[in-house]
Amino acid sequence: MKPMITRRTLLGTGAAATALTLATPGLVRANTFPERNINVYVPTSEGGGADRNFRAFSSVWKEKLGTDFEPGFYPGASGRVGYEIYMGKADPDCYNLIFGNMGPEVLNWAMQAPSFDVNDYFYFGQVDKDPCCLFVGAESPLQTMDDIISAAKSRRLNVGTSRMAHPASIGLLALGDKLGIDFNLIPLQGGKGTVAGAVTGEVDFSVLTSGSVIAAGDSVKTLLVFGDNIVGEALDNAPSINDAYDMDLPEMLSARAFGIHRKAAEDHPDRFEILTTTFKETFDDPALMEAYVANNGTPEYLQYAGVEECEAFKQSMLELGERYKSLLSGA
Amino acid sequence: MDSSTASILTEVFFETIGYWYIIVPTIFLGLIVGGIPGFSAANTIIILMPLTLALDLQSGLVFMISLYCAARMGAGIPAILVNIPGTAGAAATPLDGYPMAKQGKGQQALAISFVASCIGGLLTTVVALAAMPILARVGFYMHSVEMIVVMLFGISLIASIAAQDMVKGLIAGFLGLMIGSIGTDVVYATPRGTFGFLELYDGVPLIPALVGLFAVSEAFVIIEKRVIVNHDNEPKAPNWTDTFDGVRIALKRWVHIVWTSIIGLVIGVIPGAGASIASFVAYQQSRSFSKTPELYGTGHPEGLIAPEAANNGVTSGTLVPLLVLGIPGGATAAIMLVVMQFHGVSFGPSLFENQPKVGYGMFMAMAVSYVIMFLTILPLSRYMSHVTTIPTIYLAPMIIAFTLVGGFVPREYMFDMYLALAFGVLGYVARRTGYHVAAILIGVILGPLLEKYFLWSLKKSDGDIMVLFSSTLGNILWVAFAMSIILPIVFNMRRKRKLEVPAE
Repeated sequence: MKPMITRRTLLGTGAAATALTLATPGLVRANTFPERNINVYVPTSEGGGADRNFRAFSSVWKEKLGTDFEPGFYPGASGRVGYEIYMGKADPDCYNLIFGNMGPEVLNWAMQAPSFDVNDYFYFGQVDKDPCCLFVGAESPLQTMDDIISAAKSRRLNVGTSRMAHPASIGLLALGDKLGIDFNLIPLQGGKGTVAGAVTGEVDFSVLTSGSVIAAGDSVKTLLVFGDNIVGEALDNAPSINDAYDMDLPEMLSARAFGIHRKAAEDHPDRFEILTTTFKETFDDPALMEAYVANNGTPEYLQYAGVEECEAFKQSMLELGERYKSLLSGA
Repeated sequence: MDSSTASILTEVFFETIGYWYIIVPTIFLGLIVGGIPGFSAANTIIILMPLTLALDLQSGLVFMISLYCAARMGAGIPAILVNIPGTAGAAATPLDGYPMAKQGKGQQALAISFVASCIGGLLTTVVALAAMPILARVGFYMHSVEMIVVMLFGISLIASIAAQDMVKGLIAGFLGLMIGSIGTDVVYATPRGTFGFLELYDGVPLIPALVGLFAVSEAFVIIEKRVIVNHDNEPKAPNWTDTFDGVRIALKRWVHIVWTSIIGLVIGVIPGAGASIASFVAYQQSRSFSKTPELYGTGHPEGLIAPEAANNGVTSGTLVPLLVLGIPGGATAAIMLVVMQFHGVSFGPSLFENQPKVGYGMFMAMAVSYVIMFLTILPLSRYMSHVTTIPTIYLAPMIIAFTLVGGFVPREYMFDMYLALAFGVLGYVARRTGYHVAAILIGVILGPLLEKYFLWSLKKSDGDIMVLFSSTLGNILWVAFAMSIILPIVFNMRRKRKLEVPAE
């Protein structure tokens, strides 16, 4: 009787089995993204607003994606350091993302171009958006927009802003264009300083993202929103700039979003698909709102936007930056 | 104070005492994180944020406040013993603290520092509590123009240091100011002197500069000796005498503690100003009006009391704008704001009406922490001081390792470790050639702040330089500044004349 297993079949089967065994992890890997933690580059300091926002969102997203997120904080130069490190050092393999602000950080590129092509990365998921607003200190003699306009006729008003290249600054300059007022922007280096400047009278009033203004409580009074006031009383029922002055200004927003190398999305479409799908699913989970509110977020500002909306936002910031570059950069 | 406030304070006091089991371990944690360069109360609270948020409001408050106070005091310990200021707020502490340690008076110096810190902290807490409505107004008057003069008070220390060797002192100070101007400008964010390094866009990071100039350079120097303590000043066996001597020396100078801690308190209530400014200004003021200014920098107790009392005065000062105006006075207060908002506390003028126990509770937690801290840490000075007797072949590598890690921690950039090393080499060369590293450091720390306030003032006035003399308070400060420069010279001349008379 001929043996069932010959030396030839044994070796052949063994070789095939070995090849299959070696190949299997690769085959499985292709379908099991992610198989390790996702690194997230945050271009601001640990413990700040972006950190809290990131932690809230990733605490729910990680359940959908089946892996954890490892944040790395790279503050400096208004976010520029973090982006440069992300674009220069992180592998474009969908395991490295950036969590940035599509408002002020993109505006930076218009003021001073980065070392990379700004189109080499894009944002694919907005976590929240926060319109900028104009506010005064509780004890300021300027308590209405009419007070401000009237005072501006007799002297040049000093206006605090977080930094020159900021959507809030553009909102104010647009208002000045409309009303024929030349406001003097004073960059008070961050939200804390901008609020303090208005409250203590260092400046006549300030402009800033509304989330920080809401957090300042009774110490400030909001007079105008450079977008839609969707929180009502929390911003003292201040009107939108477009409604109040018959303008057509796009919303001046701070909008936090996840971004990725364009090359990563093009080289690994399957992985990118998993990222975008699970990102969207995260918004459908009520746990996200709980985490967002628990981390001090304003519930109304938690708003999803996908690749196309984010790209449109980014491009509009770049265009606005170019238009106001001479005023914001002193060039 | 009305009876309802008194009853709230009494109630809050006993409640806070009941949290001793949180306060005591937190004090030790704070002393450790304060003592390690790069760590601070702010980043420790961030790291422990999940724990802090899980605690109930009162426990969380007590934890944060105790940590804040202890970290401030802890930063002074390595500054005195091994010339490593743990934070920028302790940058002026080694000026006289470390020379004392080198003279074998480390234990005495620690005791002086602890007494100055605790009394300064406790006193300013009480003053802040009593005068909160008035102090909260300070920020309304101290704007950029006034802050320019405050900065000049601190920067004028360079001139005092330069008095020992005018040319070298001024060169060192000027070099510091130049290094301080590295980074993007305040108004248009134009990069200057960054040599293409992105990591320098926000200016030279303080901690690497601090630990490099002081600690790394010191490690290079002490490696040439057997121990830190000078050979003719070998420390005695552990004893309580030095501790009691330190306490006695400090208590004898209680007026000095009161005066310099109030400087810290007033600077602390100004949003954005900080402990580094306060400690340098207090040191400068202390030296200017001292009868023995020539002893400063040689291990003079008053030169140690001034910065330590002032930086602890800042601690209570930063709470005032936070609680009354909702504006955090510093980084730690900003994180406290986040944690307390998580618990639904809204700051601002209505806090003391709606939740008085929260507002008063924070000050009470601070007062109780200082009292417990005094009792727990003072006995330890006897053991801590023996760090100075560790052979330098072990100590120097440890200092370098610790400080390089400390340089890395705040931003987690390898670049910052290299920078600390570079500053270490600069500091070593400066020491070996007779240039004062403190003069460089004052320029690095206060230069950018002076520039910031100066540019804000000019921007607000459309470039009119006369804006510097446009406010009443500013002009009063200018006169005070001029007097603090001129009067010591006059006093000195009179003293010399008096000494010359008997000789005739």
